Amino acid sequence: MKIAYSHLVQHIIQNPSIEEISNSLFQLGHEHEIDGDILDMEFTPNRGDCLSINGLLRDLAVFYTIDLNQEVFTDKINELQIDFKNLSKNICPKISFLKLEIDQVPKTYKNSLENYFIDLGLNKNNFFTDISNYLSYETGQPTHCYDASKMDGKFLFHEIKKNEEFETLLGKNVTLTGKNAVFTLNNEVINLAGVVGGKSTSCSEDTKTVIVECAFFQPESIIGKSVKYDIQSDASHKFERTVDPECHDKVLRRFINIVSRHTTIKDMSIISYKYKDNVAHQIPINVEKINQIIGINISEDRYVNYLTKLGFGIDEGHIKVPAFRSDIRTNNDLAEEIARVIGYDNIPSKDISIPKSHKTKSKDIENKLRYFLLDHGFYEVINSPFVGLSSDEAIKVDNPLDSNRKYLRTNLTDSLLDNLLFNERRQKESIKLFEISDIYSSNDGIQKKRKLSLIASGRVGLNYEDFSKKINIKYLTSLFKQLIPEVVFDFQLLTRDLLDTKIKNEIISLEIDIDKFSNSILAYEEISNPPYNFNEYRPISDLPSSYKDISYSVKDLSKIKDLQDLLLNYENDIIKDIFIFDYFVNEKIEEIKIGFRCIFQSKIATLTSAEIEAVYSDIVNQTLDIKGVTIPGM
Amino acid sequence: MELLTSFGFEIVDGPEIETEEFNFDMLNIKKSHPARQMHDTFYVENKLNLLRTHTSPVQIRGMLKKEPPLAFISGGKVFRKDDDATHLPMFHQVEGIYVDEDVNFSQLKDLIYKIIYSLFGNDIKLRFRPSYFPFTEPSAEVDILSKEGNWLEILGCGIVNPVVLNNCNIDSNKYSGLAFGLGIERIAMLKHGVTDIREFYKSNLDFLSQFK
Repeated sequence: MKIAYSHLVQHIIQNPSIEEISNSLFQLGHEHEIDGDILDMEFTPNRGDCLSINGLLRDLAVFYTIDLNQEVFTDKINELQIDFKNLSKNICPKISFLKLEIDQVPKTYKNSLENYFIDLGLNKNNFFTDISNYLSYETGQPTHCYDASKMDGKFLFHEIKKNEEFETLLGKNVTLTGKNAVFTLNNEVINLAGVVGGKSTSCSEDTKTVIVECAFFQPESIIGKSVKYDIQSDASHKFERTVDPECHDKVLRRFINIVSRHTTIKDMSIISYKYKDNVAHQIPINVEKINQIIGINISEDRYVNYLTKLGFGIDEGHIKVPAFRSDIRTNNDLAEEIARVIGYDNIPSKDISIPKSHKTKSKDIENKLRYFLLDHGFYEVINSPFVGLSSDEAIKVDNPLDSNRKYLRTNLTDSLLDNLLFNERRQKESIKLFEISDIYSSNDGIQKKRKLSLIASGRVGLNYEDFSKKINIKYLTSLFKQLIPEVVFDFQLLTRDLLDTKIKNEIISLEIDIDKFSNSILAYEEISNPPYNFNEYRPISDLPSSYKDISYSVKDLSKIKDLQDLLLNYENDIIKDIFIFDYFVNEKIEEIKIGFRCIFQSKIATLTSAEIEAVYSDIVNQTLDIKGVTIPGM
Repeated sequence: MELLTSFGFEIVDGPEIETEEFNFDMLNIKKSHPARQMHDTFYVENKLNLLRTHTSPVQIRGMLKKEPPLAFISGGKVFRKDDDATHLPMFHQVEGIYVDEDVNFSQLKDLIYKIIYSLFGNDIKLRFRPSYFPFTEPSAEVDILSKEGNWLEILGCGIVNPVVLNNCNIDSNKYSGLAFGLGIERIAMLKHGVTDIREFYKSNLDFLSQFK
């Protein structure tokens, strides 16, 4: 909600700057951004009472002296004769109507009404609707204006449960479905209650007689309607968050006052229907409880003083909650009021000591598995649970985001296979992935299983020791024997027959229940020591990459590690990756031939040959400094 | 999780498919709350159950089983109907709750300082600001100051609403509790400068290899 600084500060005696008001609002929990002289407010859903100038001023009153200085019409008003029936009093326990007839429609606006449109850059509509919109901004109470000349007939408020066509005052055609609280005139819907009025009875620039509706609707009957019918509505935003049920008379008298400052009122009448008394909620004064909740020690006088400034009443040892604060029901609610006034950052922290507990066994086993796989070159992935139908036992999502993915997956391997193909398309030569997740199925009730799945293909690793070895069932079986010698794992060789790929490497997978792993796994000592230290994240560039290969001859075999370490740890802004792509040991002549592929890619722009050549030369020069390392032909 | 268990919290687990009762009712989330709408929550099996929208129901189940003093943390997948650069239909949360006699907001602040300092170092600046959650009162959100000088929301916390304790058969006149919850992806994005949450779930080795 956008609120102009000038509209607030004109009511604050101390005349604080926008920064001072901003700090106060922030302390009170009202998030906002400042855009010039506009405060763009974002209120928590429990503070519907703040969605107006007056609402914010009520909160700011705890720091400043407020003078609302908003005149209202105070004379007696005749009772309105109107043929209206409320058939859903539980939804609308209070409603008022004001009928006004004016002499002339004013061409220009004065004072605060004009400033409202200018300062917030809003478009005008028609005289009565403009006042209605302004009053919603000033008081927080939405009102709706009907052109009285279009309102002859049987006027009802009720909840309907049938499909109805309805054209909003902005010309949008809506088909109402399900239950909707509406106003009807001669059985035609003329207002979707609390959301938007209809075109057929709306005011125009020529309207001289208006019926202003001022109502309280139960939030439950309004919530979700604006989203359901895709209607942006200030009124529904406020009604969903609860409005002040006690403000009708003041708001309508303010309406009259503003009209009277612009034109001559020829006739006016008013009626208010109240079907249920609003009894003020009371909470016994208990400052000890407040101090206990927050962990402070304030006096009762200070406590009562803060609440009084916020508009709470005090009556015979009780806090009387004002009608506009429907969110306050308990001492915890009051404690939050006090904490806001003191300022959360001003409340000192006190040392906390929680008795030590033990971790659960299943997580220890899972974590050991994780460390074991990470230590052996696997990467952990997490996949979306939403898939197309994969099994008769798959659980169906009633309201999926994507109708092609309306089931919960019943295995992890299918997702991992997609991950593998994704990386193969990116020329990854060693792919080792795993996922640990719950899997749900519907088979005589919901069944839950916690699974480990892994998939691997290509080279065992991209270091000189593993480069020549291909991943196969034998490799994985022997790897897992290190962890659990007593169990034989059922690794599967997945066929590539139906896959859209030309790569021939074997794909090996395993999917197993976590509870198949016993405590013996806890003896595994991880090589890596989490949490891992990682560098600043480098965004993945979409710019084209290119590569250059370097083939070395290493005659001094003890230097192979130095060469590998230098290259695999070489860092430069345009080096995306360096890995071994060829490795051959000629034992007869005691020579290793090793090839490295350098992938170049910039995050900023497509690389030039000169940029690549400069880095390539630096790599070559540094590696040739290692004794016993040569590049054949160079 | 290891950090939090070192503070004394016990890890509890629970199902990702939940009932409305545990996901909403027990947590003082009203029937009319917008979060319950079909556009915010995934329902399954003809609205019989739902995909949990937070890990709080795990704590509810824990509190029903154990009497105070208790200190639980629950971590895992949660689901909401969102899909853009900063929101995903599935993400991860860690939530903690501590219930004992005389637990108060000052102690909650101390705990949050300890968590944030452990994650981001002792030099990080943080602030508390009032917020709203149906299951805590008072409620707070905590921001950290980025290198660029912007305040970034990092977690939500508060004093457990007595209604929630009573729902779990815990005497709210005798016991009080503190609770906090944070989004793992959000923390990772802030800590490592990842700007698109979707990167975490593409399974791209170029991405994954940076976090090993």
